[in-house]
Amino acid sequence: MSWFRIATWFFTSLGIWGILKKYDKATWQAWIPGLRYYRMGQACGREQDGFNCLVLEIVSRILTTVANFIPQEGNVYNALGLLALVLVIMLLVFEIRVAAGLCQSFELKKRWIVLWVFSSSIAAMILGFLKRFQPVHLLARMDEEQLAGTQPAVLSAPVAAETIGEGLSVHVKERTARDFGKTRYLLKDIHLNIPNGSLVLLLGGSGAGKTTLVNAITGYEKADAKILLNGTDVYENYNEVKYRIGFVPQQDLLRMNDTVSKTLNDAALLRLPVNVSAKERQERIDAVMDVLGLSGRQDGLVAKKSGGQKKRISIGTELISDPDLFILDEPDSGLDGVIARELFEKLRSIADSGKVVITITHTPDRVADLFDKVIVLARDSGKVGRLAFYGSPDEAREFFGKPSMEQIVLSVNSKNEGGEGRADEFIEKYARSTAEKEVTVHE
Amino acid sequence: MNEELRYRGRIAQVGIYLKKLIRMFVYQNDWKMLPMAALIGGVVTFAVGGSLFHTQEGTLSGCFALVCVCIWNGFFNSIQSVCRERPVIKREHRSGMHITSYIAAHMIYQMILCALETVIVLFICGQAGIAFPAEGVITRFFIVDFGISMFLITYAADMMSLAISSLVRNTTTAMTVMPFMLIFQLIFSGGLVLLEGPAAKLKSITAAKWGLQNLCALSDYNNQPMVTLWNTIWKFRAMEIDGQYPIKMMTDYIAANNMRDQLLQESGQYNMNPEYVREAANILHCWGMLLLIIVLFAVLSVILLEFIDRDKR
Repeated sequence: MSWFRIATWFFTSLGIWGILKKYDKATWQAWIPGLRYYRMGQACGREQDGFNCLVLEIVSRILTTVANFIPQEGNVYNALGLLALVLVIMLLVFEIRVAAGLCQSFELKKRWIVLWVFSSSIAAMILGFLKRFQPVHLLARMDEEQLAGTQPAVLSAPVAAETIGEGLSVHVKERTARDFGKTRYLLKDIHLNIPNGSLVLLLGGSGAGKTTLVNAITGYEKADAKILLNGTDVYENYNEVKYRIGFVPQQDLLRMNDTVSKTLNDAALLRLPVNVSAKERQERIDAVMDVLGLSGRQDGLVAKKSGGQKKRISIGTELISDPDLFILDEPDSGLDGVIARELFEKLRSIADSGKVVITITHTPDRVADLFDKVIVLARDSGKVGRLAFYGSPDEAREFFGKPSMEQIVLSVNSKNEGGEGRADEFIEKYARSTAEKEVTVHE
Repeated sequence: MNEELRYRGRIAQVGIYLKKLIRMFVYQNDWKMLPMAALIGGVVTFAVGGSLFHTQEGTLSGCFALVCVCIWNGFFNSIQSVCRERPVIKREHRSGMHITSYIAAHMIYQMILCALETVIVLFICGQAGIAFPAEGVITRFFIVDFGISMFLITYAADMMSLAISSLVRNTTTAMTVMPFMLIFQLIFSGGLVLLEGPAAKLKSITAAKWGLQNLCALSDYNNQPMVTLWNTIWKFRAMEIDGQYPIKMMTDYIAANNMRDQLLQESGQYNMNPEYVREAANILHCWGMLLLIIVLFAVLSVILLEFIDRDKR
């Protein structure tokens, strides 16, 4: 190894030592190739890229070691050389991505990446030892699963209401995800009973766990939980219960080049039992089209329909099986106020037919009067999704002391998201209120 | 409570998705594959069709070009077919769709598409004046054997691209991967470059290799004349040695005595390839290998799509 290479390695490691120190990470890791990129990646919000660097570094070291024991003239040696070249290119790409994360974290222009690529030692020394370069925390910009904390805040859990035979009973103890050997808590202690005939609003800030809760309820992503739909355990009877759950995703996931009538007909064939006759099936399709205001619009391709009509077709494909539980993820996204209101009125009528309808929306106030119940999820100080409230919209306004649903969300959102950062306070308050109710009931 | 309820099983769902794919053929412009097949078939036939079935060199290059057409058609048939609707598949899988039914519907639909493309390419070949031999090896008619072989090559390539489409998450990635797969197939067919060592073993996993072997064997490559030797000698006619032109004298003598065709046939005998022997066992072996590739990649597509619920939202 030349003196130049030794010096480069030394100063790069020293610079990274300084960077890790600024991030309050264990500094000795700066001296271990691969691991140092992983730690830097973790610190600057590029954990996956850093992890890839670590893996690639290990694999290339193994390859180099193996290559020493193989004759230098031969196909195996050549193949190893080719593989090593591919790995080095991949390693360089992931190192650049970590460097891009560092630039973001240190609030530097992207041109610093070029300096990092051509002279990582100089770049690392500058970032590591000049006091004017300080990293900012990027956690607020990460997605839900990365946001989830590893240690939930110590808060009281709401008292689990007695399970009801009718409607939806949700008892989520916790929902965790493994992430690079760590257990991240996405949800904790969510207990609620929703009677049939309810239209329920699911509120919460970004990363509060709304979609995670919905996936846990539907059984798409199982949690440590007991979910009962009209007395049937969703997890234990998933293959049977899945036909009684309708989930409408945020995007209109439809084949745009199929006709409306065939889209609904195929949905009916898939979701309705085989003993439903063709006549009954057609009647069901007609009924759904009628409820959703699609009658007379069944001809033509889905792609040719307006945004509101596409959304209603998407809802129709789930509604066709007459599900007991109907969940909609932002059904009003991209719709104007009048169309959105019409849509929620249709959801109200579906709920009135004895179903449980849960919707996520980011503009709840224009339709707040239509809801029976509101679920408010909030991320506690340990960054874990918890139940901050469950009750009627009027009770919610009184509980949070806010006149609108949007202000309720702001009150539980963290300060770096522009909120009031009072999530822990309301989670604790709600847990106490459930305990008090329980005492009152027993007295 | 709903224990007695039964929902549509795998076979019934195949029908639902097959009808859906046929509608897509009309509405989503998938029909454009057919004129594309005619176009590419026409271009290739125009370029290499003249000496197909007449000489070893013409047969090899012509068969290689037809294999390229088949693989091209097969790849383009389904490279985007799954990945372009991946979120829809995930949604429907959660609602009770069986992945096996979905892939089976694709297999039937693609089989029809591949058969139509094969007929079109063969029709173009016929229109371009290519004279097909009359007698077949497996069936009585050469054109039927040749058509089955071209269909199997197209279908095998189709199933490979279906597996790629089931693996990748979007059409951009699919279209990026496809050229690499195409180059791999063509290089390792053994028709372009002479493969030795481990590379020669690698070619056994390509549809192109079995396709080329199949078409060359059917075309009776080994019993055709070889023209390369004669053409090379002809180039040296002007070579002067001690004031004389021995190569010119030799070629003139061969031509004057009508021995040229005999020489070409004789040189062909020294250029035989044991892989291209025109025997039923060899043809059936190639068909078997192509069928194996079809089945393996169809199974792989099912396995890959069974994990679709793990796709991140």
